[in-house]
Amino acid sequence: MMRNITLGQYIPGESVLHRLDPRSKIIWTAVLMVAVFMIDTWQEYVVMGAFIALLLVLSGIPVKQSLKGLKPLLLILAITAILNIFFVKGTPLVELGPVVITYEGLISAVMLFFRLVMLVVSASLMTLTTTPMAMTDGIERMMKPLERIGVPAHEIAMMMSIALRFIPTLMEETDRIMKAQASRGADFDTGNLLKRVKSFIPVLVPLFVSAFKRADELAEAMESRCYRGSKGRTRLKQIRFTMLDLEASIAGILFLALLFGPRFLA
Amino acid sequence: MIEFRDVYFEYRPQSTDQPATRAINGITERIRQGEFVAVLGRNGSGKSTMARLMNALLVPTQGTVWVEGMDTSRGEMVWEIRKTLGMVFQNPDNQIVATTVEEDLAFGPENLGLDPAEIRRRIDDAARYVGMEEHMRHSPHMLSGGQKQRVAIAGILAMEPRCIVLDESTSMLDPRGRKEVLNLVRTLNRERKITIVLITHHMEEAVDADRVLVMDNGRIIMEGVPRDIFSRVDELKKAGLNVPRVTQLMHELKKRGIELDGSALTVEEAEESLKRILSRAGIPRRHMNGTSLPEKPGDPIVRIRDLTHVYMPGTTFEKKALDNVSMDIMRGEILGIIGRTGSGKSTLVQHLNGLLKPTSGSVEVDGLECGKKTLKELRQKVGLIFQYPEHQLFEETVYKDIIFGPARMGLSAEEIRERVKRVLEILGLSEDLLEKSPFELSGGQKRRVAIAGVLAMEPKILVLDEPTAGLDPQGSEEVFKFLTRLNRTSGTTILIISHNMDQVAAYCDRVAVLNDGRLEMLDTPRNVFGREERLRELDLDIPEITRLFRNLARSGYPVSSDVLTIREAADEIAAIMQGQGPDKEGMLQ
Repeated sequence: MMRNITLGQYIPGESVLHRLDPRSKIIWTAVLMVAVFMIDTWQEYVVMGAFIALLLVLSGIPVKQSLKGLKPLLLILAITAILNIFFVKGTPLVELGPVVITYEGLISAVMLFFRLVMLVVSASLMTLTTTPMAMTDGIERMMKPLERIGVPAHEIAMMMSIALRFIPTLMEETDRIMKAQASRGADFDTGNLLKRVKSFIPVLVPLFVSAFKRADELAEAMESRCYRGSKGRTRLKQIRFTMLDLEASIAGILFLALLFGPRFLA
Repeated sequence: MIEFRDVYFEYRPQSTDQPATRAINGITERIRQGEFVAVLGRNGSGKSTMARLMNALLVPTQGTVWVEGMDTSRGEMVWEIRKTLGMVFQNPDNQIVATTVEEDLAFGPENLGLDPAEIRRRIDDAARYVGMEEHMRHSPHMLSGGQKQRVAIAGILAMEPRCIVLDESTSMLDPRGRKEVLNLVRTLNRERKITIVLITHHMEEAVDADRVLVMDNGRIIMEGVPRDIFSRVDELKKAGLNVPRVTQLMHELKKRGIELDGSALTVEEAEESLKRILSRAGIPRRHMNGTSLPEKPGDPIVRIRDLTHVYMPGTTFEKKALDNVSMDIMRGEILGIIGRTGSGKSTLVQHLNGLLKPTSGSVEVDGLECGKKTLKELRQKVGLIFQYPEHQLFEETVYKDIIFGPARMGLSAEEIRERVKRVLEILGLSEDLLEKSPFELSGGQKRRVAIAGVLAMEPKILVLDEPTAGLDPQGSEEVFKFLTRLNRTSGTTILIISHNMDQVAAYCDRVAVLNDGRLEMLDTPRNVFGREERLRELDLDIPEITRLFRNLARSGYPVSSDVLTIREAADEIAAIMQGQGPDKEGMLQ
């Protein structure tokens, strides 16, 4: 079943993180992710880890729920980390024929693993606390200045939110069509690559036909609800940069100072 | 409110060599403020086009449509018109724009440029009105079909329209969802005085309307109050429609020379009417005895033992869809499978051809244990036809699409051609269709071509999930006719998942009732529908005719309480009126 992807799905709540302006969340998530790439001493790891843990607590989202997004990625993370063990040169710890595990390799693997985990968690912290609509709203507003040079900000945001709305629907549909064609003798699992790709034609054609039909009907439904682009359109939820956002930004700057300050002091 | 004057509409041809298709063929009609109008018509009769003309989604080729005095062909009026007249479409999925209910409700008001506080007020009010206030933050794909349509209606309501047009908005819903939507529409009309135009081909839905318009070939061919319209049974049949079951029964009785006063549109009315004639004839009360069809001789073709299926075990989404189901399906029977949405019907049948694997328990089909090795053979034995099978068509020509399955079975070219010919005959399709693209066929034809693709594999067991969903009465009847033909001529075992109790009662040998993944009953339709109270607890209906006769029997009238079809019912009443008691011979046919 493909329809239950949990990575970063919005969880309703009233926490500080939920109430922030999506724009500040987008910007600060980006800053946080850059910071995660810049840290390299263990002290910095600890500070960073503590900060992300603090954010998790603030978000009010059950830890289990927020870590669940990691599960499907765990294998990839582990492989990336383990590869590091073997390819970093330094003081040998264990030597097994041509395979050398070094002290530095081990350290860098562990650090890489945590770095990736922190990246994923901080990204999903945003998606867990922001509705897709708020997110696209935020993006729309941030792109607004670009409209002057011809970037269709509203249209891009609308497309993104419709895409998000229809992902689960299309997943279900794919599942259904695959089952129907399998019942008619289609075989998706055997044969070489070319044959397998070809075997998806009976799935893709109906899927596209239906997606186009949906698009048509949706356009009709939107039009009949008086949609005519961004012109004269208001929003239920006005996104507003509030005191809370200001406080959060100050807290963010203080955190960055705490994290990287020692570098400059030394 | 809405006025059509000499309206014609032609769809522009897709290519230059095709003629334009005329969908509306001269309509002049006026719908008054506050009216509840039902528009009936077979698939392709022009009723959806008419709805789109009201909403200025289409503009007449000739003639004029006014909505509250606004001419729909004048571009600058379009937004005002759509604000006044909201439209709810057929497919619940394709009209919800946003990722949460709340934001979807706000979509219309936002487009109107309303103040956020006003939007908030309106959507809260609309959500409360349709009973969706608890789902405001939910994602639309987690809702049932009926809930989605209620959201769509609330989204229109939040724009505070004076008229709502529902274009077959109930046709993709299960009976429960349909009831939800219809009740809502009725209240809206009554309490908020909103003009309702309900387009449908379910006759029962039109009963409550103030007025019924019947369309065929782009024209309004009949117009009047439901009672008058439904008394013109033969005319309706000619238009590919039908009347409510109880009305059909009354019509049938009149044809047999039984004097009835007035007509009946609902079970309650029919009950009154029958009580009157029975009392008048002085029929004595009689002790009741139940009868049932003899069971088909037991030669199980499918053996299901302790079948349990759990979706996504070990996650928070874990769901036990089937719980310890054991049953036999007999060779050559037509088995109906009923149960509310989510009761496990689809999960059950998907085990028969190995699309799903049992979490525990076993399934044996025609001596074949279901498992990985037998998959290919299994899928040839069991033909599975999903809901709306026409959505799976993909080839360039009808012929290629039909042979998709058979071509993978290692049959000779000659044998394949032979089979295609045979299925066309069973399905009543012409050979001229073979070289056409499946995408240019009509809805009913597409459905049959899709079914043909499975039939050509000549499965021993044919499983159909809601085979008549979305078809008009005539189309549905045809589907059941060829299924019965197939069952009689080639002895194919047929399993039908259905929400339509009348169809199940009329065509199935046995009925399996599922509830929460458990097999609740497996018996003849007569015995199953005899347990009305239990079925009601399971949120299932019984056939209208059965309900009528049970009510009569309960009031002490000497009728059998297990009558299933109109024909049986007419026989029974006729026999009683002649003072002979129920005619069991007639009932068995």
